[in-house]
Amino acid sequence: MDEKKEIILQVNDLKKYFPLDKNLFGKPARYLKAVDNISFTLEKGTTIGIVGESGCGKTTLGRTILKLYNSDGGSIFFAGQDITRLSKHQMRKYRTKMQLIFQDPYSSLPPRMTVGNIISEAVRVHKIVPKKEVAKYVQNIMKKCGLPPQYYDRYPHEFSGGQRQRICIARALAVKPELIICDEPVSALDVSIQAQIINLLKELQKSMGLTYVFISHDLSVVKYITDQIMVMYLGNAMELGETDDIFDNPLHPYTQALFSAVPVPDPDVKMHRVILNGDIPSPANPPKGCKFHTRCANCMKVCRYMEPKYIEVTKKHFVACHLYNQEIMNDLAFYDAEYDQILLQEQQMKEQKEKKNEKK
Amino acid sequence: MAKENTKKNSNYISIKESRKILKYNIQQMKYYEKLKQQKRDESEYITRMKDPNNIIEIENLKTCFFTDNGTVMSVNGVSFSIPKNKIVGVVGESGCGKSVTSLSIMQLVQAPQGQIIGGEIRFNDEKLGYFEDGSKKAYDITKMPTKEIHKIRGEDITMIFQEPMTSLNPVFTIGNQLDEVSFIHNKDMSKEEVKKHSIEMLTKVGISMPEHVYESYPHELSGGMRQRVMIAMALAGSPKLIIADEPTTALDVTIQAQILELLKDLQKQVGCSIMLITHDLGVIAEMADEVVVMYAGRVIEKGTVQEIFHNPLHPYTIGLQKSKPLITSNSNEPLYSIPGQVPSLINLPDHCYFKNRCIKCTEKCSGKYPKLVQVTDTHYVSCYLYEKKGGKLSG
Repeated sequence: MDEKKEIILQVNDLKKYFPLDKNLFGKPARYLKAVDNISFTLEKGTTIGIVGESGCGKTTLGRTILKLYNSDGGSIFFAGQDITRLSKHQMRKYRTKMQLIFQDPYSSLPPRMTVGNIISEAVRVHKIVPKKEVAKYVQNIMKKCGLPPQYYDRYPHEFSGGQRQRICIARALAVKPELIICDEPVSALDVSIQAQIINLLKELQKSMGLTYVFISHDLSVVKYITDQIMVMYLGNAMELGETDDIFDNPLHPYTQALFSAVPVPDPDVKMHRVILNGDIPSPANPPKGCKFHTRCANCMKVCRYMEPKYIEVTKKHFVACHLYNQEIMNDLAFYDAEYDQILLQEQQMKEQKEKKNEKK
Repeated sequence: MAKENTKKNSNYISIKESRKILKYNIQQMKYYEKLKQQKRDESEYITRMKDPNNIIEIENLKTCFFTDNGTVMSVNGVSFSIPKNKIVGVVGESGCGKSVTSLSIMQLVQAPQGQIIGGEIRFNDEKLGYFEDGSKKAYDITKMPTKEIHKIRGEDITMIFQEPMTSLNPVFTIGNQLDEVSFIHNKDMSKEEVKKHSIEMLTKVGISMPEHVYESYPHELSGGMRQRVMIAMALAGSPKLIIADEPTTALDVTIQAQILELLKDLQKQVGCSIMLITHDLGVIAEMADEVVVMYAGRVIEKGTVQEIFHNPLHPYTIGLQKSKPLITSNSNEPLYSIPGQVPSLINLPDHCYFKNRCIKCTEKCSGKYPKLVQVTDTHYVSCYLYEKKGGKLSG
């Protein structure tokens, strides 16, 4: 892994805010920060896993990278080219190189088109191969994805979930992409079918040199397929590192809790389990300071008012937690005092307000 | 049974065949619906338990759906029992009949298409006494008329559904819906008592502000909270058996851990049995005492957790366990996967349903459907690979 590989995707401080309310002049007053300051780099032929609970912004991140949503800050580099500010027309060139596989194979295939049409549509639009060879080309792709070519004229409803997911993969592969964003590709499938699809994805990666962004909430699947993992919570990256590194040595308390919550299929293993209290706070109204502090077992006073910095603890292993920030850990008493002061100030402000109200 | 006119390996049904199926379905549905409405004497639906320590015994249960494509045998001769104060896990892929088995226990199968056409479900009710010869009286749920089932449904047997989002009524407050359950089963309770009881239940399931939740609507709560409310609702009667149908599938991992812990605690506190239906082997390993593995409407293996996880016998069980990637597994080797897919449940031929996907398939497998073979006292498997050994062992 020492030799330098070509970096295919680089994301720097990517932001995506959704407006919630509008003020008097029609300008958004509050934002939902779905993706906030996310950065990572991805080498060609590798996979990054994006893990998190529902509502943490995994899917939004995937779509923002594809520019299905316009980003509100930060930049995306695809194969060395800045694509953040490209117009729709300019983007067309890159569309064939970046593809998406959706979660639900039941609703992401048009029911009125035959399999052949579904897969060949993009091929014809982007003129990947000459018109005469389209059918042959598509059948070749179908073979690669484990679909018998005689299914060319069938409709999606005739297939089971696993086969539909294969059609989705074939559709994504048909335009010769370099990067595929897999948005929970196996979570709607049964266990025995899941294994088939995961194996297929891995095989294709080897034979075609594909790069994946693998979005999932199933940690064991992510562990199996990825090279590096990013853990997200309420729009922020909590931890980023190489897969083995993160699983052997999870640093962030949230990552630790997340990993220990996965049930192990062995009745004799009694896990030392960290059970988180409470629910995920609403992303529209996230807590101050570290977003995780409301559920954190190691919460300190600093966490309640200061957002943790994203620091590199060991090589290629980033974490956003005060526990690993030496500057803060050495000087805890100072920060505790500061927090008390802030509390005091807030209380005084409240009292003053109340007094004003009384006067009125 | 369904006519065997349809060609093999083809989904095509001619108009003639389609009419035949329709006629047959109407006739069958009318017959079973009539049976349900008939008034019956108590002696007809009271049977005796084989083992008084079981809360429920299912024997050769057959539930089918009369569809336009033919008769779907969703549950085809399932037998297992749930002991008192135990958690029994039922695993299987989608469409293997796990949920239909549980709905049959509750007599909630979608009628008139879905009907229980055979078998017995014996429910051990404490209120029923003993027979003269000392054996325990029990209700046979399959033969109970609809009016009588109200006595036990929701009171003794309760259910937690998969999706807390859809199973709570959005136009009523949580309190309203919880009170309803208590009202139905204790008609002489006053309003204040019922409210007190409901709030007590909400506290029991670990909701921190029960009074506040009591007055809120379902949309104001998060997924985990809603599932807690559903559990509170299941506890509102005095359940002997709770059927949890995929209680954590719609939830996040961290919330799932909370809910499983809660279910375990409550089971010990209340002293009831739980039938836990799930497709997640991890959840089963953690929660269950006994495991039933189902495939295509049949039980293919059952035993204690230790037996199923340390010594799985049926090729399907082995494959299922291998195909699940583990946090500890090596990611360089390709994942084991069971080839093919679950067969359609219409007109299944009488041989092992797993035959086409099995790697250990022998000539014998083309014969009749293998019987359940007893391997140890508690471990049963339905596969020809173990028939000889089992035969020698048992006799």
